[in-house]
Amino acid sequence: MTTMQPTDVSTVEDPIFEVRNTSVSFDMARGESNVLDSVSMDVRRGEVLGVVGESGSGKSMFASALLDAVVDPGMVTGDITFHPESGEPVEILGLPEDEIKRIRWEQIAMVFQGAMSSFNPTMTVGAHFEETLSVHDRPVEAGMDRARDLLSELYLEPAQVLGSYPHELSGGMKQRALIALALVLDPEVLVMDEPTAALDLLMQRNIIELIKQIAAERDLTIVFITHDLPLVANLADRLAVLYAFEFVEVGPAYEVLTGAKHPYTRALLNSTPNLDTPREEMQPIAGAAPDPVSVPDGCSYHPRCPLADERCVEEDPPLDADDPADDHAAACHYVERVREEIPLTLQEVRRHE
Amino acid sequence: MYALKRVGQAAVTLLSVITITFALIRALPGGPGDAIRAQVMQSGGSSNVDMTQLNALVESYTNVDPSTPLYVQYWDYVTSILQGDLGQSIWYGRPVSEIIVQALPWTVLLLTIAILLTFAIGIVLGAAMAYAEGTDFDVGSTVVSMLLNSVPYYIAAILLVYFLSIQFGVFPQSGNVSSGLEPSLSLSYVGDVLYHAVLPVASLVITGFGGTAITMRGNAIQEIGEDYIRVAHLRGVPGRRIAVRYVGRNAILPMYTQFMISVGFMFGGSVILEQIFAYPGLGYYLLEAISTRDYPLMMGGFLVIAVAVMICVLIADLTYSRIDPRISDDDAREAY
Repeated sequence: MTTMQPTDVSTVEDPIFEVRNTSVSFDMARGESNVLDSVSMDVRRGEVLGVVGESGSGKSMFASALLDAVVDPGMVTGDITFHPESGEPVEILGLPEDEIKRIRWEQIAMVFQGAMSSFNPTMTVGAHFEETLSVHDRPVEAGMDRARDLLSELYLEPAQVLGSYPHELSGGMKQRALIALALVLDPEVLVMDEPTAALDLLMQRNIIELIKQIAAERDLTIVFITHDLPLVANLADRLAVLYAFEFVEVGPAYEVLTGAKHPYTRALLNSTPNLDTPREEMQPIAGAAPDPVSVPDGCSYHPRCPLADERCVEEDPPLDADDPADDHAAACHYVERVREEIPLTLQEVRRHE
Repeated sequence: MYALKRVGQAAVTLLSVITITFALIRALPGGPGDAIRAQVMQSGGSSNVDMTQLNALVESYTNVDPSTPLYVQYWDYVTSILQGDLGQSIWYGRPVSEIIVQALPWTVLLLTIAILLTFAIGIVLGAAMAYAEGTDFDVGSTVVSMLLNSVPYYIAAILLVYFLSIQFGVFPQSGNVSSGLEPSLSLSYVGDVLYHAVLPVASLVITGFGGTAITMRGNAIQEIGEDYIRVAHLRGVPGRRIAVRYVGRNAILPMYTQFMISVGFMFGGSVILEQIFAYPGLGYYLLEAISTRDYPLMMGGFLVIAVAVMICVLIADLTYSRIDPRISDDDAREAY
């Protein structure tokens, strides 16, 4: 596999995160499992970066790596540089335990997939806020005022929610309370790993709107991980598509959605279920996602790609733009052929505001 | 509301227990009435014993006058028990309630120490095993816990008596206190009482903590894998606090009811234990009563054990909502 050189597309101006050649691997009985394969990606300060991929494409690993919070026994290697608003850049990986503990939640907070079970069932929601404030040596009184403000902004009744035990709240309320908890220390970055996975459709849209609002008000940088392309379409400034533990495409959200350059992204867009699409017109992607222990040589998508030829089997395409000024790129040898050979069937993509 | 309902249920249970005890007295072949009659006839030697006198004697022992109709007998029995009159011990010639009041504290002493130690050791060991899941320590402790948990406590008791008191003479073989010591709160008396309690307590603890440890280990491993533990780590909550407030508390919760019920059941289990150590607690007198056919004492013992289990379960039910917010005992809390 050729190494991925940092290119124009993975670097941005004023990055808050610089992720370089970062891998996550697990030692398993049948071999080393690379669940994130030497990826490079920058996150711009103040943007909402949508990271999209199917289950098992490595997107949760990317999210956890940003906080050096990959679950044991996963190994993270590479360089992740965090540029705080003020102060020196920090190397996240290999930071001593007490220093990473300061950065987590104070500067980089995370909302999990399992939002429904992110609260201790025997503590009130308010106690979680107080605990978080006091372990980070923040004044609890002032912090709780801030928590109340956040909860009201999320359309919750602060007194009611803070005095409740987690089981007394509905899923959507818990989710919003968790977002407030993530923001209580006023972090610069919020990493959200499928935060709406367990919610119904209406509540999902609702939460997305709230996140958008809060991000705009607070100059928050958001890394939003999801498998649901249409969900993030409305929220993200840029989209990065993960396939087989590598980024295969990155670009401004609207451009990726309307003019995807990678065959996988186009197939993903075409396979998105839509209420208006008759079932016979749905186009599932043939084949299966690769196993992390044995990723195909060359371009990892070649076994499923209609454009694949000898070159794709032998040579791993870099994530590069044809034009150095272009901020939209795909890791494909045949970017120029994609548009014609894989037409997009998506009828309508709502313009990103 | 719930508490009232629950106490009402307990009252019904109590009445049922008394009723069953009453029925048992009558149902047992060669029951207490016959036993007393036989005794009197044997000692009197003649057949012309006055039946009214005999019935009065039976009544004074068992609170039941055999010459009256069944419902009167039942009423007499229930009312006297509710007044704390459990009848008269035939063997000891003393009121049963007096014997029980004297014996019960010793049993409670043994069991309290044993249960607290069992759960304390089990919970700490179980939590340590969970945190060290998969290590040699975990595997070794699991094996030892299983092994010890499968040894009946009376076997352990006999082994302990044989080795520690008969062979090495480290601990006293029997009794609750050295003879000749005056009961007082002095250091020597309390020390002597604890010294005598070591072996009985040890046999319960050694064979009991394994089960608690394994349960705790399982619960704690499950807790450690919960999302909120991961979130708490990310929020910067110190590991020690997570171990106690998050893992510990949530893992112990399901064991609370088990804990209270085991208190009740240990009263029953104390029978053989106290016999082995000739420890004059409730169980000791109960077994004596059985071997001497002392029905009133037997019934009194059964009743006390049943009531003990009942009270413990009642306490567990009434207090559970205090330790687990998810179980609510009234309508004061709302869910949104």
